[in-house]
Amino acid sequence: MRTNVIRVLATAVLMAVLGASAALAATPPPAGDAKPVEKSRKDLTPMPEGWTALRQEEAIKQAHKQYPFVEDVLMEDLPLRQQRLRNMGIGYKDIKQSYILLDSPYVDTYEKQYDPVRFMHSKHAASLDGDCAACHHYRPADPNAPETVSCRSCHQDTRTDANTERIGLKAAYHMQCMNCHEQMKKGPVNCVGCHTKRSVDHKELVRLPENPKPQEVTAECLRCHQEAGDDMLATAHWLWRGPSPYTTEHRKSVMSGKGTTTLNNF
Amino acid sequence: MKLTRRGFLGAVGAAGVAAAAPNNAQAWQSKAPPDPYGCLVDLTRCIGCRKCEQACNEVNRLPEPAVRFDDLTVLDAKRRPDHDTFTVINRYYPGRLDDRAKPAPTFVKVQCMHCQDPACVSACITGALTKEDNGAVHYDVGKCIGCRYCMAACPFEIPAYEYHDPITPRVRKCTFCFERISKEGGKPGCASICPVEAITFGRRNELLLLAKKRIENDPGKYVDRVYGEKEVGGTSWLYVSNVDFEKVGFQKLPEQPMPGITETIQSSLFSYLWSPLALFGVLGAVMGLTGRKEENHDA
Repeated sequence: MRTNVIRVLATAVLMAVLGASAALAATPPPAGDAKPVEKSRKDLTPMPEGWTALRQEEAIKQAHKQYPFVEDVLMEDLPLRQQRLRNMGIGYKDIKQSYILLDSPYVDTYEKQYDPVRFMHSKHAASLDGDCAACHHYRPADPNAPETVSCRSCHQDTRTDANTERIGLKAAYHMQCMNCHEQMKKGPVNCVGCHTKRSVDHKELVRLPENPKPQEVTAECLRCHQEAGDDMLATAHWLWRGPSPYTTEHRKSVMSGKGTTTLNNF
Repeated sequence: MKLTRRGFLGAVGAAGVAAAAPNNAQAWQSKAPPDPYGCLVDLTRCIGCRKCEQACNEVNRLPEPAVRFDDLTVLDAKRRPDHDTFTVINRYYPGRLDDRAKPAPTFVKVQCMHCQDPACVSACITGALTKEDNGAVHYDVGKCIGCRYCMAACPFEIPAYEYHDPITPRVRKCTFCFERISKEGGKPGCASICPVEAITFGRRNELLLLAKKRIENDPGKYVDRVYGEKEVGGTSWLYVSNVDFEKVGFQKLPEQPMPGITETIQSSLFSYLWSPLALFGVLGAVMGLTGRKEENHDA
């Protein structure tokens, strides 16, 4: 009996709160003297002045450094090479930079659509347990050359003559990374897994009046991103519906949700 | 000696055949450029990212597609190049399994093959289509009369037509990025964007050696065949693959160039104008016969 009373009371309170909020929502915004809410486009978490990524400049310089092309390479079996590198004591402790920016004129063979990859050299070497030969598959034939050289020492432009076929730097990067990621079932294999997409500067594209209405903003977004809007309408965010919590007489007859007309559906 | 009609016709016919015979024996001459550019497509490398489609669209200033280029669901259906898509990627499951025992896809790029002796050029009656020295089969809209013989002639069914535009329709197909490759160091859009160098641009002769070298270096991986080496007399675009070409949408085509057959027939039909002569001879004879009969009736 008492529980029943409590339940009825709780329902009444809930209804009252809902009603009040509905009434609040229904009240028209104060007209006339009330100032519109000032909008701020200030970045709330601004980048500290003069901040750049760690070693970024050095990495850019490093990425654009030209190396003399290695014409001849010493072809050897991978296990032999691995063994030799281990015997020579070459491992991840020899890596000087923690990351390399994979950028070069040889990579920009088409309009830049993506930013260069930030390749974590030491991390990769460590996760390969110091097996340098996994990527540094051959060495220059010249015995005085260092044991491991950078990718772009051998892979620069595409060489199409059948005797010295050498894939270009872009393909070398992509095939080395993606094939290994696929084999190891680790690491990204899609474009944006490694690259950040070079996004268009929306400042030039967005055309809005001085003090836009929310609907105008939505319409302006949809002008280009119609698909994103259509997709949204097909997601659970827009279509969700479910039984309401217990209301009077323990019924769950009211379906609430955006997919119905009972909740927050403009 | 009195020349009978039958004798005369027989003589004309024989003369015609005799005139045609040496022409038949005189072999048809290929007009293929000696050192054209080409592209080698390695199906083992292609990852089906559709970047080539995107680059093609941008380079040729084609209309924006209905589905964005980063949407790979379009690969669920087989597509063909059309009037505003010069190249498409199709996905096949030819039965190869990957290391997780799942069917492994093979992606095939489809575009104009830029034949060495193109049937479309041979069929074109106004010279709007030409085979250029750099390998491109080039289309000049100014000369085109819209007869669409090229579309009927192409063994790869590539040329498309702007049927929606009744006033200034054009035949549309891959241009081999004619302007780009005419420049020093220029590559077609698709070849320059490909992230894994599945499309290698270069001189056709070199690419052919390269293709054979790749097969020779990895005979377990590749099928021992370069598609486009001999098909219809050779094409500027070449393909190497790790699966049978017939399983991934390539047609089985004869090795002789298409114009070799059609032009031989045509030239032997019209050599010394024997066939029109014979035709009009027969017609004349028929007329003569029927005319005389009527005269007899009247008399």
